[in-house]
Amino acid sequence: MKKIIDVARYEYTHHVAKRRFWIALLGIPVGFLLVMGLSLLFSYLSFDTEPVGYIDQANLITQPQEVPENIGFLDIFIELIPYTDEQAARADTENSEIQGFVVIPAGYESTYQLTYYSNKQPSSDVTSRINELLRENLLLQEQIPNLERVMEGSRISLESLDGSQSSDGSSWHRIIVPVLTGILYFILVMSSSGYLLQSLVEEKQNRTMEMMITSMTPNQLMIGKIIGNLGVGLTQILVWVLIIAIGLFFFQGRLSFLSEMRLSPGAIAISMALLVLAYIVAAGLFAIIGASMSTMEEAQSVTGLMVLPMMLPMYFFQSFFTNPNGVIPKIFSYFPLSAPMSLSLRMAFTRVPTWEIVLVFVILIVSIVLVFWLSGRAFRRGLLEYNKRIKLRDLFVKEVSHG
Amino acid sequence: MDTIVVEHIAKSFGETQAVKDVSFSVRPGEIFGLLGPNGSGKTTSIRVILDIYQPEKGTVEILGGPMNEEKLNQIGYLPEERGLYQDVELSRNLTYLATLKNMTREEIDQKLPVWLERFDLSDHQKKKTKELSKGMQQKAQLIAALIHDPEIIIIDEPFTALDPVNTQLVKDLLIDLRDEGRTIMMSTHQMNQVEQLCDRLVLIDHGTVLLEGDLKEIQTQFATNQVLIQTDSELPENIKGVQSIQEEGLYYRLTPADGLSPRVVLQELIDQRISLSSFEIATPTLDEIFIKVVSEGRNGNEEDN
Repeated sequence: MKKIIDVARYEYTHHVAKRRFWIALLGIPVGFLLVMGLSLLFSYLSFDTEPVGYIDQANLITQPQEVPENIGFLDIFIELIPYTDEQAARADTENSEIQGFVVIPAGYESTYQLTYYSNKQPSSDVTSRINELLRENLLLQEQIPNLERVMEGSRISLESLDGSQSSDGSSWHRIIVPVLTGILYFILVMSSSGYLLQSLVEEKQNRTMEMMITSMTPNQLMIGKIIGNLGVGLTQILVWVLIIAIGLFFFQGRLSFLSEMRLSPGAIAISMALLVLAYIVAAGLFAIIGASMSTMEEAQSVTGLMVLPMMLPMYFFQSFFTNPNGVIPKIFSYFPLSAPMSLSLRMAFTRVPTWEIVLVFVILIVSIVLVFWLSGRAFRRGLLEYNKRIKLRDLFVKEVSHG
Repeated sequence: MDTIVVEHIAKSFGETQAVKDVSFSVRPGEIFGLLGPNGSGKTTSIRVILDIYQPEKGTVEILGGPMNEEKLNQIGYLPEERGLYQDVELSRNLTYLATLKNMTREEIDQKLPVWLERFDLSDHQKKKTKELSKGMQQKAQLIAALIHDPEIIIIDEPFTALDPVNTQLVKDLLIDLRDEGRTIMMSTHQMNQVEQLCDRLVLIDHGTVLLEGDLKEIQTQFATNQVLIQTDSELPENIKGVQSIQEEGLYYRLTPADGLSPRVVLQELIDQRISLSSFEIATPTLDEIFIKVVSEGRNGNEEDN
């Protein structure tokens, strides 16, 4: 046990003490925010938010458009300005005071026909603003009680047949746990398994491996490395969570929807347990790759294959919505590398029987045992073969028959 | 009880049979030489002993039983492929490797400076391994093998990157360690080092044992009745009782005729009034024995085939 801790501590401090770790750590969120910010900015800039004029020849508009008190930097608001005569509207359009104007002709209520005058195609925002204004004013004439509430629609709450699961119907926050699980899992595997792979290939290239495995068993070495690199990945996530928490603290006023969020602690616990177990399977596979390959380039080309099954639930997101107990979601939740996100997505959209959850955990644990057994062989077999790649078949066949 | 007992081990990699049948034993408190040409199976044998490789056949006993974690801590190993973290400071490197041999921080803090001083590396302990010369790296690697005060020391080609001064330093160290009662197994193909250090040896080639035993006994066993002489005078072309004369630098090597002893040759030289500055019975060098045994072994194999 002491040696496992020694290895884990060395791996952890070795990576965390490096400048490149912190550059990557802070660089990724900064880069992400930068890309997000830029794309938001560009899409905002590409919107035409210049006002649009209207001439109400039908005398329909009794309640003009409400102008919000605060218009945020990135809010898209198109002001609708009333004009009384066409000449003025035409002049303002030509002077680019407004992007165009719409004429609501007398007799609109029988034709429902409008004419929009501009040299530019109106964006969907423009047409929907105009429709909104007209709809509201037409409905006002009908004297409908609680009109505002009627327009808002119903609140639908959902409940499963046996009453075991219910929700208030706004499903967006149900996917928070699965999606966060997926993102965390992906980041954790990519970053810390990347470090694990790197440290194994480095030890092979530095020839330190022989010193290691004459001081401890291959499994002690691997467990130590997995724990140490898991620590590195968790540190990374912790720092990011802190950054996000600080961000939320500063912008909490603007993010009122967060207070409506209700997350199930049970689902979080199961998702996190799945995440850790699947991470160990992935790390074990990375260890096998690291032990079998002789250069980082070779190893990286194989790791691409690992990413694919991890991303599977993302590609088939739709089937989790439409049929969470269908064949594809089921298969993905039984497959160790895609289990964390798949099972927690299914749990968000349907009631997954307990036996199935237990089965997924059993599959993960069996996978861990198998992967450890295989990587123990890969270590003995591959770590000292400095210039040669080891075939997967060799791990099963040759050593076993001699074993 | 012998410290290491290797019995009929065999190990192959795919089609290549690295070790066919190797047996030997290393006794407590001796320096034992594992000799053989390049590719003869020395390193594979060592890795089998250290439990890095599982042999297909045969057994290895360390301190009276199979290898376990406790025994790994009692072994100091200098691998043929030297292994230190290239991007890490020397002292951190050595501290880490020592913790893996179950040393505590206090023990390391106490012993590491002594070893660094002994190998003249104190001034370089904050440097990264890759900034050190080959010889320095080798000395550092030796510290990693010895710092935890192991019972058994297994060193693979310990002198390759060392200059004569450091070679002597390491030789003296190995002799000191033996005198303290440590068991040392040394693999090398540098025969002169073996002659000066080893008590017993095994010679392997093509994964099989060609020769095993006490160094002195082996030399006696391979001794011929040739004599080496040094002289200022011209040697006559024919000396009675001498079959052939070879000039070897400052020496002449005389091979007596069949059945004659070196004493007869000496008498003849004196009778011919040849002034001798030295006269000695030619003990075969280990190099000569090595070449003889290996080439005979190979010829034998070819004939068998």
